[in-house]
Amino acid sequence: MVWGTTIAAYLFLAGLSAGAFLTSSYISRKYPKAVTVRMTGRFISPVLMGIGLLLLIVDAEAGLKNPLRFIYLFTNFSSVMTIGTYFISFFMLAGFYVALMELLKKDVNKWIEYIGVVFAIGTAMYTGFLIGVIGTVPLWNTAILPILFVVSALSTGIAGTLLVSGIVNKQVVHLVTSVKKIHLSLLAVEVFLIFTMFLITSTSNEAAAESVASLVYGEYSMIFWIVLVAVGLLLPIIVESLELINDRKMSQTNEGLQVAAAGSHSIVGTLVTEMSVLIGGFTLRFLILAAAVPIAFL
Amino acid sequence: MARYGMMIDTRKCVGCYACRVSCQMQNELPVEVSFIKFHEIETGVFPNVKNEIFAVQCQHCEDAPCESVCPTKATYTTEDGIVLVDPEKCIGCKYCMVACPYQARTQDHLTGVVEKCRFCVDLVAEGKQPACVSTCISTARIFGDLDDPNSEVSKAIIKYNAKPLRQDLGKTKIYYVR
Repeated sequence: MVWGTTIAAYLFLAGLSAGAFLTSSYISRKYPKAVTVRMTGRFISPVLMGIGLLLLIVDAEAGLKNPLRFIYLFTNFSSVMTIGTYFISFFMLAGFYVALMELLKKDVNKWIEYIGVVFAIGTAMYTGFLIGVIGTVPLWNTAILPILFVVSALSTGIAGTLLVSGIVNKQVVHLVTSVKKIHLSLLAVEVFLIFTMFLITSTSNEAAAESVASLVYGEYSMIFWIVLVAVGLLLPIIVESLELINDRKMSQTNEGLQVAAAGSHSIVGTLVTEMSVLIGGFTLRFLILAAAVPIAFL
Repeated sequence: MARYGMMIDTRKCVGCYACRVSCQMQNELPVEVSFIKFHEIETGVFPNVKNEIFAVQCQHCEDAPCESVCPTKATYTTEDGIVLVDPEKCIGCKYCMVACPYQARTQDHLTGVVEKCRFCVDLVAEGKQPACVSTCISTARIFGDLDDPNSEVSKAIIKYNAKPLRQDLGKTKIYYVR
């Protein structure tokens, strides 16, 4: 593994950060009253991106020893990494600005926020393109990978935002039902994308088939089935579905409405779901990097 | 301007690792780092089997994938077609290592810089042969200008019908006789 756990964590954090930014922008339009959720998304986004970049810097040993060299990252426009460096730079500038305005309790310039939204999507996609353009690794070299990473970025972004919001103030997570519905559909789409990717890619050539085999029944199958599929995808899909059914029931009875308004019911379900989505998000990146089998050249 | 390349005759190679050692000496590499890696494959069905030994190093690709992915332009191709890494520009992101179809790159953990075969540019500039070529005990390696039809390497490639490892992965400058 040339790129290991550190890079997996970086890819995960970049997606999570972009997803949190997008979540908070959506919340600020759809639920103006859900201040905690909005603020949480805006605060965690630049912090998580910053941690991700630190990991990247630590992994780039030569740059770590000579930090001025990082300026060269902006020079090669034929490299996806250079393009990504620009995306992340603009995204982080916008993210910091929005977080600062939130901190100072000032109005956020909506155009800067829109720029942030564009580059957040760019950042999430770039993490997929970064490894997607590597023809040497057939598991990565597929058009579906950037889409999978974007869906996972949005899903982990929502999870991270709701998890921290829930810890700060447990009433708020029940106010944002549409976010939960979006979240549930994203998880379902993710299952479909992973299935499609594995099925199609495994037929493309030997190296790809080997990659998929190592995940489905080989070296990484335990992590794949237990951590990614069961904990990271199925568990949150089940809990979230039950929660949405429960929410509907509660809104249909008087007692339910009172309980909801008082915020006295448990948010354990939410915390468990969001935590498992985050675990799944990281595991997805880790497995995609770990199961990379390069093409045979002999 | 030349277009330097090499031919390696796997039928002559005995797998003595002399090229790897001389390369390590020439480039002052630590023991565990080497620019030449040995791969052995068995082909055929009993009783007609053969064991082939491939000494694989940077293939000095034309339109090298490592060069196009390098975000800092540390990897570049000289006018003579030699793919090199500028150690002053490399940040050690390892994108090139991931992109290289021949897994020919290694990272120097002292400096963090990613390195690989340089076709001994300094020796070649003095008109000498690369270290791996001059040291080879069975003269399995021939080095020279691929653009010059009269060079020893060009003639040998035609004579022995030498081919790149994987032609479908793009043009390279090391040819193998099998």
